[in-house]
Amino acid sequence: MEWMDFSAFSNKNCVISNEGTYTYTHLSHTIQMLQDSVISGIVPGEVIAILSDYSFESVALFLALMKNHNIIVPITATLESEIEDKLSESYTNKAIRIRDGKYFVQELHQEKNHPIIETLRLRGHSGLVLFSSGSTGKPKAMIHDLDTLAQSYSGKKPKSMNLLLFLMFDHIGGLNTLLNILSMGATMIIPASRNVEEICHLIEKYAIAVLPSSPTFLNLMMIADAQNRFNLSSLRMITYGTEAMSDTLLERLKTAFPRVKFLQTFGTSETGIATTSSLSSNSTFMKIDDPDLDYRIESGELWLRSHTQILGYLNASMESFTEDGWFKTGDLVEEGENGYLRIIGRSKEVINVGGEKVLPIEVESVLMQMSQIDDALVYAIPNAITGQSVAVEVVLHDPSDTEGIKKTIRQFCKNKLDPYKIPTHVKVVDHTNFSERFKKMRINR
Amino acid sequence: MKEHIFEIISSAVRDMGEELENETLQHVSEETKLFGNGGALDSLALVSLIADVEEKIYDTFERAIVLADERAMSQRTSPFRDVGSLCNYVEKLLND
Repeated sequence: MEWMDFSAFSNKNCVISNEGTYTYTHLSHTIQMLQDSVISGIVPGEVIAILSDYSFESVALFLALMKNHNIIVPITATLESEIEDKLSESYTNKAIRIRDGKYFVQELHQEKNHPIIETLRLRGHSGLVLFSSGSTGKPKAMIHDLDTLAQSYSGKKPKSMNLLLFLMFDHIGGLNTLLNILSMGATMIIPASRNVEEICHLIEKYAIAVLPSSPTFLNLMMIADAQNRFNLSSLRMITYGTEAMSDTLLERLKTAFPRVKFLQTFGTSETGIATTSSLSSNSTFMKIDDPDLDYRIESGELWLRSHTQILGYLNASMESFTEDGWFKTGDLVEEGENGYLRIIGRSKEVINVGGEKVLPIEVESVLMQMSQIDDALVYAIPNAITGQSVAVEVVLHDPSDTEGIKKTIRQFCKNKLDPYKIPTHVKVVDHTNFSERFKKMRINR
Repeated sequence: MKEHIFEIISSAVRDMGEELENETLQHVSEETKLFGNGGALDSLALVSLIADVEEKIYDTFERAIVLADERAMSQRTSPFRDVGSLCNYVEKLLND
């Protein structure tokens, strides 16, 4: 892969983390060192897990394994049982742990094989195994042709800028940021943790211009009043993805960050990240404008087909794909004018109230207009009268303000929502539930 | 216990009356009709009322009851027809 030659960026900073600052020359040397020692016994085509989140060492190892044409399984889980499941579901041959800057290789005596892995071996291409973060059922292990995926990042203009690695090492969005940074010769800032304080501290310290994030995280920033407590004036662009954005939250954000450009990103683990453009900074409408990706809308659901999509699943059927290769994303979209689209939720999260469909984001967006409410999470609860009904967990601006909150909420919603969309169950909470990827968890409650 | 239950249900019904701007619901008695047969609630308002009653029963008696389930729906006379029948049904569930 020609763009993987970093010689042009030699003395530019590549990685800044708690452990130190590393240039692109450092990176090239470490990759060479890994090829000569740690991975010298690793045969091309073997499946290798990297048990680590982002660090200089894990990034170097990822690139060394890619050059060695291995199939890489990044695992950030720390729970042993989860790690074991993932190693077994991905047919991993060797697992490499990184501790205190050192590499520890573990042989797993894998005897099974999978036809898709065999295909990649025959092509002589590197691969990437990702797990779905689905809130229902067992995580699906999916496999990408990493050479094809990485090739789609080639030919980027070199840029000197600091970018934050917000999403994780085992997440398509996180890998997208990584590959983008490497292809531009930019600098990645690796946070020690992903809480609002740490992220904002880093933005201030390193004058970070681009923050890739999710609506849930951005709302946590608003709740923490981060825009007034930190100097975030270096931010030029905030990108948000992984879940639907409510108009109200976007409006709150735009007020807090008037000079920042807001851009919706869109991608799936199955198809990779699409190139998108938002209608404007205060619009949740976006356009998918990507030569490598086709889309269509079937009964309100977005279907994608891309050059960079997965070869298949290692432990699941291809039922989420059509015969001719369209991936049914499960994301519901609304079509605007001139080809603009708006993500309005996940099909699994739709609430069915006596046959009427309710989208959580629409209700949340209205609730967020209330000054008393800092955060809202709308979900379905079963009910013998209407099948399901609309329940909400709210985080109050003043936590002692609970008296009569349901009445106030229902009164507020009265002329803004259809009666069946108005929450019948209201629960006051300290914080709403979200995943480690900062995505609201609305089902299986 | 019976008075407590009546108090809980009437306060929930009064709240609903205010929300729906319905005078009858705001002057609650045991005879106040709720759902079906001339009652002022539609199924959505009933679901919300039931949620309120369940929550207040839990706060008062520390007992989680489910008012709307298959059992309630399959009764020959609906427990949701008026305030009196709902009081009796709640009492029955609490005594179970």
